[in-house]
Amino acid sequence: MGAPLNDVHIKTDAPSTLFLDKHADYIASYSAKKDDYEYCMTEYLRMSGVYWGITAMDLTGSLTRMDRESILEFMRHCQHDCGGIGASQGHDPHLLYTLSAVQILTLFDNLNTIDLEKVVEYIRSLQQKDGSFAGDKWGEVDTRFSFCAVATLALLGRLDAIRMEEAVTFVLSCMNFDGGFGCRPGSESHAGQVYCCVGFLTIVGRLHLVNADLLGWWLCERQLPSGGLNGRPEKLPDVCYSWWVLASLRMLGRLCWIDSKRLRTFILACQDEETGGFADRPGDVVGAVDCIRSKTTIQYKNCFPYLYIYSYLSKPCLQVDLFHTLFGLAGLSLLGETQLKPVNPVLCLPEETIQRLGLHLQLLN
Amino acid sequence: MHGRVKVKTSAEQAETKRKEREKKLKLYQVASAAAASKRANGEFDKEALEITQNILEQNPDIASLWNFRREILLFWEKDRQEEVQEVLSLELPFLESCLRVNPKSYGAWHHRAWVLVHAKHTDWAKELRLCGAFLQKDERNFHCWDHRRFVVQHAGIPDTDELEYTSQLISTNFSNYSAWHYRSCLLPRIYPDPEQKGRVAEDQLLKEYELAQNAFFTDPSDQSAWFYHRWLLGRAEIEDAITCVYVSKPLQTVLVSFSKPVNLRNEEDEAVLFVDSRPFPSKWQVPDKRSTFSHVWVCKLPPGLLEGETLQHCLHVSWKDGRLKKECLLYPGSKESWCQDSATDQKLFSLELSIEKSSVLRAEMDSCRQLLDLEPENKWCLLTCILLSRVLDPLGHASKTLTWFKKLLAVDPLRTGYYKDLRSKYQVEDGLLCMEYAETRVLHLARKELTSLFHLDLMVLVTHLDVSGNCLHVLPLAMSCLQCLQVLHADDNEIEDIEGVRNLPVLQDVCLKNNRLAHLSQLQPLTSCCRLVSVELGGNLVENLPDFYTHLHELLTHTRPV
Ligand SMILES: [Zn+2]
Repeated sequence: MGAPLNDVHIKTDAPSTLFLDKHADYIASYSAKKDDYEYCMTEYLRMSGVYWGITAMDLTGSLTRMDRESILEFMRHCQHDCGGIGASQGHDPHLLYTLSAVQILTLFDNLNTIDLEKVVEYIRSLQQKDGSFAGDKWGEVDTRFSFCAVATLALLGRLDAIRMEEAVTFVLSCMNFDGGFGCRPGSESHAGQVYCCVGFLTIVGRLHLVNADLLGWWLCERQLPSGGLNGRPEKLPDVCYSWWVLASLRMLGRLCWIDSKRLRTFILACQDEETGGFADRPGDVVGAVDCIRSKTTIQYKNCFPYLYIYSYLSKPCLQVDLFHTLFGLAGLSLLGETQLKPVNPVLCLPEETIQRLGLHLQLLN
Repeated sequence: MHGRVKVKTSAEQAETKRKEREKKLKLYQVASAAAASKRANGEFDKEALEITQNILEQNPDIASLWNFRREILLFWEKDRQEEVQEVLSLELPFLESCLRVNPKSYGAWHHRAWVLVHAKHTDWAKELRLCGAFLQKDERNFHCWDHRRFVVQHAGIPDTDELEYTSQLISTNFSNYSAWHYRSCLLPRIYPDPEQKGRVAEDQLLKEYELAQNAFFTDPSDQSAWFYHRWLLGRAEIEDAITCVYVSKPLQTVLVSFSKPVNLRNEEDEAVLFVDSRPFPSKWQVPDKRSTFSHVWVCKLPPGLLEGETLQHCLHVSWKDGRLKKECLLYPGSKESWCQDSATDQKLFSLELSIEKSSVLRAEMDSCRQLLDLEPENKWCLLTCILLSRVLDPLGHASKTLTWFKKLLAVDPLRTGYYKDLRSKYQVEDGLLCMEYAETRVLHLARKELTSLFHLDLMVLVTHLDVSGNCLHVLPLAMSCLQCLQVLHADDNEIEDIEGVRNLPVLQDVCLKNNRLAHLSQLQPLTSCCRLVSVELGGNLVENLPDFYTHLHELLTHTRPV
């Protein structure tokens, strides 16, 4: 027989209501504890961390609790001469953090904090001959970076700056037998990459090139009996994968292909009622564990697209972080949670922000 | 087993932990500062390599530190060639230990690839063995699979060897989705179908059917083999084609529809309309006035162009530099005319699956029904039976298909939405086929449990559409394809959005009784239908609004809503 079902069990006493204020408290306290182990160890992805924090905070309607001025001040030190933006001062520029930075500044309506013309130039410089994008000057190519490139340019209203036809051709060359997408041509489908590629095609107005029925089927098969969604067949459910899958289905106009009530139950069960914040999954794991629970002092969550160092604990436990807090909240928002602001499934920013920009993204209906 | 329930620790434990963390953090911060200062001062020395190595061993995803290491090596390349090669060879075991701690680090895998191409004497065979070892530990690690493909390319390993590797993996574990995926990439390269690009030649295809069947007869609940089987059944590429040309004299318009969404405003995709053999400078528009790509395009003709009751007119559309074309003749005295491809002739609805010899598909059907006898509640098998019956004989299997759907909905409630939409799609296809056989322009889709409307681009000629008594929530934007629609029955649904009736130029009668229209604003799309004669809205909440009919009259000044 095949592999046992990988899933989690949701206990009857697991949280089942949204702890809205607790989450805002968690985010506020996270950024206040700058000497914390976890805070320091995640400096290499700080720019994305800030994006997760302020977007989550804005979705809860408490953006004013974030120290806007100090964030903007921090950002002034992260742009390099090439135009690209690094995760933090002293870290090299990369498309991942360039997108995060532009998302933050869009949300704050403060794009002029950085040199935008240079950002555009940086993105243009990373497009390869075959239309793909390297993440930085070291040349790692991935469809994640195709998404970062067009998402950033769309927010800046500069989609004309790159060779679009070639960019589309490259993304399509990563389409697989199951209708999904991988990192590069020949790579296996993965919900995170699917999100990037479907998002890419939405932004550039080519969503009709996806086989929506086939891919939608693969995506809705990610839902497990616990209600959570995994990122690939046979994997464990995870709050962040729930977002990648859900947002992709939303773009494809097929959100109703999964059971929203059950997914909502799963996401809510990932909350920490004491501290606020969301973990990757609720307590008890049924099948084999996919993540590395290393025997060393550091533990990792292998989440797309980041490796997230989260703890120094001798025993594994429900451990919340900013990343899963954003995607937990964003997922609930897409499912229609009225206590949260509506979120845009393509750019993972509040819908009102996208509307303020006047950005029109045509989803399938 | 890892239970990860939150553990409440005693104050004492917490304190020990805090101290350990503090120590660890100090070390990390000191090392990071040292690396940063070395980099800033251009001290590209051995010590810098040691410091960065110590940090990366703990956290291999600090990209800037890998970048620094590469900078050092590139800097040495000018006059310390030998040392570079030595470091590169030591880099491999170091990376291996990083990857053992975290086999999913993007940074470490990328650096490894960089080292392998920069080293002078890379042992690719050894690297392939390393991939094998890592995949043995985790057969689904997609980073390692990608690395393997990179190694294979550099080592010049033939595709057939890799196919053999996937066969081995699958024979030990049928659930290895990654291996099935790899097969789907390799097979069309090794055994290309001479006729269909990206597909597998028939001999080999039959062997693959057997492999997949072996897998799902062994474990019928294993999704990997079923997804693979779905791919084998395949879908042929839809070919570019003009599927319909329609002309209306009273509306002074020509409509063209295509087999897939196109952008006629794109220079390469330009379509030229000839009226009576003269090219007409056409300005093509999409019916929904929004989309960039569309199946259907409309062109307004200037008044007078089709004048003359006694004259015959020829409308000819030429596309892709004349390689594709279609024309229709407007006879003297007639108001409209069209030329449309038949859905049956095009095997439009079997395009989901390939046009394999039907004997092959029939054999697949037999196997699946055998399995279904053994496993009557297996959702994968039920779905496959439905798919196959759709290709073999949709109308003949109609009632059986519905029974299977019922069963599917019962055994897999999580995917209710998917199954219901799929059933709706098939119901629409059957409706279209029946309409075609009856040679009418009236499409009956009432009381079919429809949750969504599909194939709207194939309804361009439909004049009467009945979708009443279904479970529709929206009349979608894509309904704007129905440019000939005069009568729409959509009562007894759950409709709250009627955006789809916007810009339907000849729509006269709309029946929307017993739906979920609650606000006047939801009726706004009706204002764009300039030939509207009657609208029925009984049984909607909107009817209870004070002075509703007065407001409605204001909204639709040119109509007489009932
Ligand atoms: Zn996660």
